[in-house]
Amino acid sequence: MQNEPIFKFTDVSYVVGGSKILQGINFVVHKGEFLAVLGASGAGKSTLLRMFNALQSPNSGQINFRGQAIDTDIPCLRKNVGILFQNSVVFSGKVKDNLLAAGRWDQNIAQTLDHELISALEQVELGNIELSHNAQDLSGGEQQRLALARTLLNHPQVLLLDEPTSNLDPKLARSIMDLVNKLRETLHLTVIAVSHDHLLMRRYAQRVMVLSQGQKIGEGTFKALDQKQVFEEAGLMEDSD
Amino acid sequence: MNSDFYILTWNDLIVSLVFIAFSLFLIKKWKLGLEQTLIIGTFRSFLQLTLMGYVLTWFFDQQHWAFMLGLLFIMILIASYEGTRRQKNEIPHFFSAMFIALFGSAILILGTILLFILEVEPWYSPYAAIPIGGMIIGNGLNSTSLTANRFIGELKHREREIETLLALGATPKLAAYDAMKASIQAALIPNINGMMTVGLVQLPGVMTGQILAGIDPVIAVRYQIMIMYMWFTTATLANMIMLAIVYRQFFTNKMQLRRELLRDNS
Repeated sequence: MQNEPIFKFTDVSYVVGGSKILQGINFVVHKGEFLAVLGASGAGKSTLLRMFNALQSPNSGQINFRGQAIDTDIPCLRKNVGILFQNSVVFSGKVKDNLLAAGRWDQNIAQTLDHELISALEQVELGNIELSHNAQDLSGGEQQRLALARTLLNHPQVLLLDEPTSNLDPKLARSIMDLVNKLRETLHLTVIAVSHDHLLMRRYAQRVMVLSQGQKIGEGTFKALDQKQVFEEAGLMEDSD
Repeated sequence: MNSDFYILTWNDLIVSLVFIAFSLFLIKKWKLGLEQTLIIGTFRSFLQLTLMGYVLTWFFDQQHWAFMLGLLFIMILIASYEGTRRQKNEIPHFFSAMFIALFGSAILILGTILLFILEVEPWYSPYAAIPIGGMIIGNGLNSTSLTANRFIGELKHREREIETLLALGATPKLAAYDAMKASIQAALIPNINGMMTVGLVQLPGVMTGQILAGIDPVIAVRYQIMIMYMWFTTATLANMIMLAIVYRQFFTNKMQLRRELLRDNS
């Protein structure tokens, strides 16, 4: 199961206005793994992440999800591939309204009972928050957890993380990543996280891919890439605390 | 019609220029820098409307359905061009969206008024079709231009929200729904407020004009009521048709937000 490919990128490139954001990217993501995509600012990692749930399409190349072209069934893809953005959007209204956001188009979510919503909050360690609480009064960390709970209600197989902890203090960042890692194990999620923080990511990710100026300059375990000094080459060591 | 209605002569109009002179004085005093624009606007409105008066006199002599339909078609084309020109951001196919919105609302509303409310004989009588058609198209143009601008503003403001909804599995229509709702509400609320206060605070232009021209105020009021209902329906219908076309332009066929269209192109 661990080695079953879930995503396959073949010669993926993305060029906009003459600038090459991604160039000839090839790699495979396996089911159940935690893959970190590291790169300095402007390396193309957020663009790459957006391609996993088709919020962005490459100009050339092929992306497969579970053996099929990624754009075969986009609503189904997005239900299966959740994303936690850098600054998660919390909609105005109550915590419950946020959890049921997808209920506007998904009857299964619309019919979720309150006790199931409370379980979803407990899953992200927000058990102390009432469903009637105003969502925008939550702290930054709590808002991220609420967004995570909202995504998990879709029962995704894959969770994408777009620098999810960059606006949080290191302690809070670690607690969110601990939670994600725990969820990965209990829910059998595949996690793909983009970050510039290689120190944080090496605590959780089993494999890492390093981007620099739109090109893949390394892929493998942290130990292997440390030996090749890939992180130095990508300019990631200067960012280390 | 009353015999004692007030005829406005060219001399009377020249005297009315005192209003513009007074505005110019105030604008200069406040250093608003609008003097030149106001002078050009004053001359243009005078020339355009005078010319239109003569053109209308000629139009009113034409009694043919094809002429009337052709004229309405040209009016809608010009309004669609003007609406496209007013947009600060590029909206793909906006001209077509405006044209369909204005054409659809004009046919439906003008047709209803001519055939079932005023029961004009023949229906293409220029005395009814030109002024009412002009009001519908003009009002539709103003309303849809403002709504489209507001819609782009809403999309920019809600970009992350829309992408979050798309990422959760929403269709583009559902993801853009709140932006459409906010922009259409902003367009309709002034119309509704106008209906609330009409007659209490101000007398509308059409009614004032008719009363000054000697029409019985009770009849003028009936026309005004019909026109207000017509305006509201035009704004509602034209905006909904326009937005139903425009929102699609901001998404790809892969249900992706076209973020490049939301960047300022200045």
